[in-house]
Parts: sequence; structure tokens; C-alpha cells
Amino acid sequence: MILFDHVSKLYPGDSKPALDQVSLHIAPNEFVFLVGKSGAGKSTLIKMITKEEIPDGGKIIIGGIDLDHVKKRYIPHYRRRLGVVFQDYKLLPNRTTYENVAFALEIAGMSNKEIGRTVPKVLDLVGLADKAHKFPRNLSGGEQQRVSIARSVARQPKILIADEPTGNLDKLTRREIIELLQKINDYGTTLLVTTHDESIVNDLQKRVITLKGGRIVSDQKQGGTYRLDKETFVPPTKLATSPKIIRSAPRNNPTQLKRKVI
Amino acid sequence: MANKKFSKFEIRKSRNSLRTMTKNSNRHRLRAIRRIIKYGMLSFFRNIWLSVAATLVMTITLIILFVTVIASVILTNTADAMRSKIDITIFFKPETSERVLSDMTNIIKENPNIKSIQTATAKTEYQRFLKENSDDPNLLQAIKTDSELETIMLESMQATMRIKVYDPEKINEIKTLVKTNSTFSKAIDNTKPATYDVNSTEISTVTSWANIAKNGGLVIGAVFLVISILVIFNTVRMAIFSRREEIYMMKLVGADNSFIRGPFLVEAQMCGVISGIFASAIGFHGFRLLAPKFDAYGIDISSISKALFSYRLIFVFLIAITIGMLIGTISARLALRKHLR
Repeated sequence: MILFDHVSKLYPGDSKPALDQVSLHIAPNEFVFLVGKSGAGKSTLIKMITKEEIPDGGKIIIGGIDLDHVKKRYIPHYRRRLGVVFQDYKLLPNRTTYENVAFALEIAGMSNKEIGRTVPKVLDLVGLADKAHKFPRNLSGGEQQRVSIARSVARQPKILIADEPTGNLDKLTRREIIELLQKINDYGTTLLVTTHDESIVNDLQKRVITLKGGRIVSDQKQGGTYRLDKETFVPPTKLATSPKIIRSAPRNNPTQLKRKVI
Repeated sequence: MANKKFSKFEIRKSRNSLRTMTKNSNRHRLRAIRRIIKYGMLSFFRNIWLSVAATLVMTITLIILFVTVIASVILTNTADAMRSKIDITIFFKPETSERVLSDMTNIIKENPNIKSIQTATAKTEYQRFLKENSDDPNLLQAIKTDSELETIMLESMQATMRIKVYDPEKINEIKTLVKTNSTFSKAIDNTKPATYDVNSTEISTVTSWANIAKNGGLVIGAVFLVISILVIFNTVRMAIFSRREEIYMMKLVGADNSFIRGPFLVEAQMCGVISGIFASAIGFHGFRLLAPKFDAYGIDISSISKALFSYRLIFVFLIAITIGMLIGTISARLALRKHLR
């Protein structure tokens, strides 16, 4: 679904490349975490996928589309096939929740009838059916992020990219958002999530790709324990012997229970 | 619960509709236009303070434009009126016959600057004098009873030629023609100089002032207009700059540039239309209030007011709206260009 082949990027004026010969492959329906400190190249990699930045070298193929062949005027059409979620939500401030989600469908030219059918379902999925006519300024951070997720999945993209989706949220809300993302993944969407939140990575036990200085330093298929401070992985076998880490994973979280009831 | 509502089956079904909806059909385009207009209007009302500010600035510009146009028309009219009042009177000896006068008329007619020529022999001048003083019975009585007085009066009258010209600045040509032509020099009464000699300084003052007023008005108007267009442009640019994040987000979600630009243009055009309505309303009302003052100063504005308040009212109104829309559209387009690259 996502294929990077020896992709490099050097921003003008920088001495070190932001991405250095990065190769990775993400299969359909995978849930992948992309971790690394700020400046490791996570954002650049995301920007390559959304074709905001063009690589200096290498090849990128997303959902069967070779990005070299996407002409400038077709970039909007290409982007409509992706779902993108940001740390700062990037909602339209003077449009309501409903309109924000509908916007993603309107730009693709969906009829009002179809939009009227789709948006409530999507809002229901993210649990915001009762806040459809509120403006973003009247929503909490977690709610805004859910609107953002609703917007990105409304078009049923095969790929969802989430750039630090939990970066601005508190611990409980983070869990809810991640659960939501997992639910979307269960429906068959490929997910690429960047984060530097250890607890999420460690709790979900999904594939984790670690970037450091523009290079992939580890690609852990079965998950593991990520230590941001050391930028290293503890293999899954060692997990049991590390009580501190187990404690850090909020397994008996009340919110989690609540969500399960729903 | 939510899971059931949003089943995998639904997803597959919607995916098919996604495929069909990316087709660029006419229906699709119409839909996009409808949405652009809707969101433009929504955004106009949701950013009401920004809209009000932009509308006010545009209104002021349009009023300046209105005033400039009216003022230049008034000045041109006034200057023309002043010029048309300038005429030359050449006096000839009393005995000059009608035949000589018509000969001279034919000679002077050659000059393209001549608008009209009126000639009169001494006798007709005398009759005109009598007519002009018909409300003075004492004078008429005196002339009637005293035949000597009548002869004196007749002798004191001169044959005249009154000339109106198109361009007062070219009066000298006529002057030299009259001076050099033998028919003229024979008939001219040397005791009474022609009026272009008397008025020459006044003629030149009037013409130069009229020119200064006209050109100066145009220059000042143009300067004001340029300044206010710059102010509008800046207002629109600030408004768009404050929403650059939104533009960026729309781009990332996959909106076409035209779909991003559209609502902004609609918004700017709405400002233009509203300011056009305001400006023409204020302009008309102001003009109506000021009209008596112009009359008091002896400035003739009847032709303008007739033009303004007849069928051209709608015309002026439409022009104001069009200009408002144009200024809005152009400045929004220029300001957006940077963000949509």
C-alpha cells in the first residue's frame, strides 16, 4: 500500500538530509507506528506521502500510484484518496462539525443526498452525532481530533495518515483516539501513525518503524517496547521482566472500559 | 452500535460511489458552483466584522470615484459654459453697408474656429437699442419728439460683428486676419477697439483656470482612487492571510484550487455588490443635497442631474456594483495567488 524505495530529501540550506535512503513497505490493512524524536524525519516522510514535498531521489508508490507521475493539477485528486489527520486538527474554524466532515465529500463532488446519508454515519462512528452543529471552538481537543478523523475517513480512504494525532491531548483522550484509529483499521484501512508517545506504542503492540536522523534504525514487526529517551526498542520477550513498563501501560483504564461498553 | 451502522458493506458501497463521483461531469461542476456560492455567502456572514470592514473601505473608494467623475463633469461643463460666454465684438464705421458686412462674414467664416457670426448695421443696432430700452418711456418720448437727437443717436451707433469661437485660445488667428485684411481695415471704426483687445487678459485667465481645475481634479481623483484601491487590496490580503491555515488545510484534504478560491471570490464580490449599493445610494443622496448649493453659485448642473436621475440611474448603479465586484475579485485573486501555489 505504501512503498518507499531509497527515498532521500535534503532541504535547501541544510547540511544533513531530512530523509536518507529510506526504504519501507507497508502492506494493506496494516497498522504502523512511525516513531522518532522531532527532527528525525517523520514529518518529511508524511509530507512526501501527501505530496507536499517532492523527494530528491528514490521512488514513492502509494496505493498503486507512482507519485512521480502525479501531475500538479491532479494532486488534489490524489489527495482525495488519502485520509490525513494532524496534531492541530486543522479544522475549518467557521464551519460546524457537520460542515467540516461534509467538506471532504463536497470537494469530491458527492451529491447532497449522499452527503446527508454519509456524514451522520461517520459522526456516529466517532461518537459526535450530538455535536454535529457545533463550531470547532466549542469543542474540546479530543472532540476536535475526532472531527478531524471523521473528515478523513468520510471518503473511505484506503490509507489513513495520522501525524501526531494525540500530541495535543491528555492521557485519557489519547486512548479514545487510538481506539478509534484501531477501529478504522479493523474496517480495512491501512494506517500510518506518527507519534512520540511511548505508552500508545507499547500498549498496542503493532508494527513500529523508528526513524533517527533521517534513517530507519529499526522496523519491529511484532511491536515491542519503545523508549523514547534512548530511541531504542526492548524486544517483546523482555517485556515481562520489566514491571515498570507494564505499569506504564494503562490497561485498566476506566475510559477503555467505557468505550468497550459502547 | 456504531459498528453495525457503519458496516463493511456500507464502506464497499460508498467506495463505488466515490469512483463515480470523481467524474467531471456538468452536473458535478454545477454542484461545485452551487457549493462555492453557498460557502462564500456563509463565510461572509460568519466573518461579519471582516466583511463589514472590507465593505466600508470599498464603499469609500466607490464614493471617491463617484465624486471624481461628477466633479470632472461639472468642471468640464462649467469651463465650457465660461468659454461659450466669451465672444468677440468688432465695431465698424456707422456707414458700413450690409453688403460689406456679409463680404466680411464670408472672409472670416473660412476660419474653422468660428462657431457663429452675427452682424448688424448701425440701423439695426439702433433698433435693437430702442427695443432694449422699450421699458423706458422717457427716453422713447425724447427720441420721438427730438429728431436731432435721433440723428445723433444713429451716428453714434456702429455696425457690429459678434463672433463666437470654439477655442478661445485661438482668438489671435482671427485677430490677425481682421488686422491684415483690407476690407476689414477699411471698414473698422478706429475710435472703438474690438472687444478681444479689451478682454484678452480675462479670456486667457478663464481658459487657464478651467484647464487647471479640470486636470487637477482628474489628477487628485486618480491619486485618491489609487490609494483606496491599495487600501482595499491590503484589507483583502490581510483577510486572506489570516485564513491561510484554512487554505492549507483545504489543499491537504484534496480541494481543487478553484474550489478553494471560489468562496473567497464570492465573499469579495458580495462586499463589492453591497458597497456598490451603499456608494451609489450615498452618492445620489449627497448629490441631491448639494445640488441647490451649486445652483446658488451659478454652476449649471441641470444636465448632470437630469442624466443621473433619469434612466441612467440604474446604469450608474450597475457600474458602481460592477466596479466594486471587479476590485474585490482582482484583489482577492492576487492575494490568493501566493497561497495557492
